[in-house]
Amino acid sequence: MHCREAAQKLQLYLDNRLTIEQARILEAHVANCATCLEELVLLEEVTQNLHTIKVIAEPDDLNEQIMRRVAMTAQRTNSPRFSLLRPSLAELLVVVLLATIATLGPILQQPSLRALLPFANGHDSLSLAVMSLLHMLTTAGSNTLILALWVIGTVLGICITLVVAGNEMRSLWFKAVMERLPVR
Amino acid sequence: MRERSVQSTQSMRMPLTGAVSSTAEQDDLQLVTASKGGDQDAFAQLVQRYQRRVFNLVYRMLQQYEEANETTQETFLAAWQGLPAFRGDARFATWLYRIAYNCSLKQLEQRKRDKALQVALEAEQDNTKLTDTEMDVRDRQALVREHLSHLPAKYRIVLILRHLQDMTYEEMAEILTMPIGTIKTHLFRARNLLKERLQALDRESNMGTRGQ
Repeated sequence: MHCREAAQKLQLYLDNRLTIEQARILEAHVANCATCLEELVLLEEVTQNLHTIKVIAEPDDLNEQIMRRVAMTAQRTNSPRFSLLRPSLAELLVVVLLATIATLGPILQQPSLRALLPFANGHDSLSLAVMSLLHMLTTAGSNTLILALWVIGTVLGICITLVVAGNEMRSLWFKAVMERLPVR
Repeated sequence: MRERSVQSTQSMRMPLTGAVSSTAEQDDLQLVTASKGGDQDAFAQLVQRYQRRVFNLVYRMLQQYEEANETTQETFLAAWQGLPAFRGDARFATWLYRIAYNCSLKQLEQRKRDKALQVALEAEQDNTKLTDTEMDVRDRQALVREHLSHLPAKYRIVLILRHLQDMTYEEMAEILTMPIGTIKTHLFRARNLLKERLQALDRESNMGTRGQ
């Protein structure tokens, strides 16, 4: 066994995650290698020191305080009546995708608006394919497209705000949304 | 200082394997079912059973007694509110620990935002550091304990779960919703960081001896 391999296994050894055979090979190596022995002794010391951390007594009235707050708080109902209104994340993404397509459709059908877009404004095969696909999708649509347009406008507004807001704000926002999102 | 340590560490170890574990889980299940139906007495028993472990986990994450008190209360309140959604896929203890960890992270983020509190805490930590230094500079146990509180949260939590709560890699993976490989990586890096502190201390004391 080489020192590099031994170093990787020392922590597994301390956590009793090696088989008897693996442990035996490691012990044989450590017995003849001063560097690995020193490494093992230090890691053992760290582990032992962590075990000396004392258990702290919680406040005497913790249970009382919790139960006082519990008495004032209702449990979140998990009524099956509303379960149909709680889509899964995948379902939610499909809805957003369809709404995007439905919104882009009417925009792309207007040549003046289409010219403003960075894509699907030429006569190459890709643009034509996108156009025909969108045409196919939107002719199957209804008046809800107007509503979808508003929704997408809002989403685009949020996206632009997030791009401007910076990385930290974005991650906070994402966490907050995920906490509140009524998904299964 | 309001912190009091308790003599026995036995109460912190979760009964995870064997007959004791299955009995405890059975009891938990009955209490959880009753609590789901709105039985506050049953929930009070669950609180009584887990409050010390949850409080200690939160306290080691936050290193601040009053904040730990508040966050433990938040944890149990969130558990109470979320109980109807608890489907029993994981053990109650695992689910509760996950809530406690998330509440602690939330509190740490809140602390970052609240700069005034951060400044106060840093001052408090500096004072503690000074006192520790005055008391015994060569206290290696204190060094490891102190350095634990300065590790990043993701490393601190694996050390707390492994060494204070005696959990296996599998249990930690379930609580932290991470693959076992990631748990191992975090645990190994965390212990290596503490080990490096001890090595640095050894080097310093060797240099001091040579200098004399």
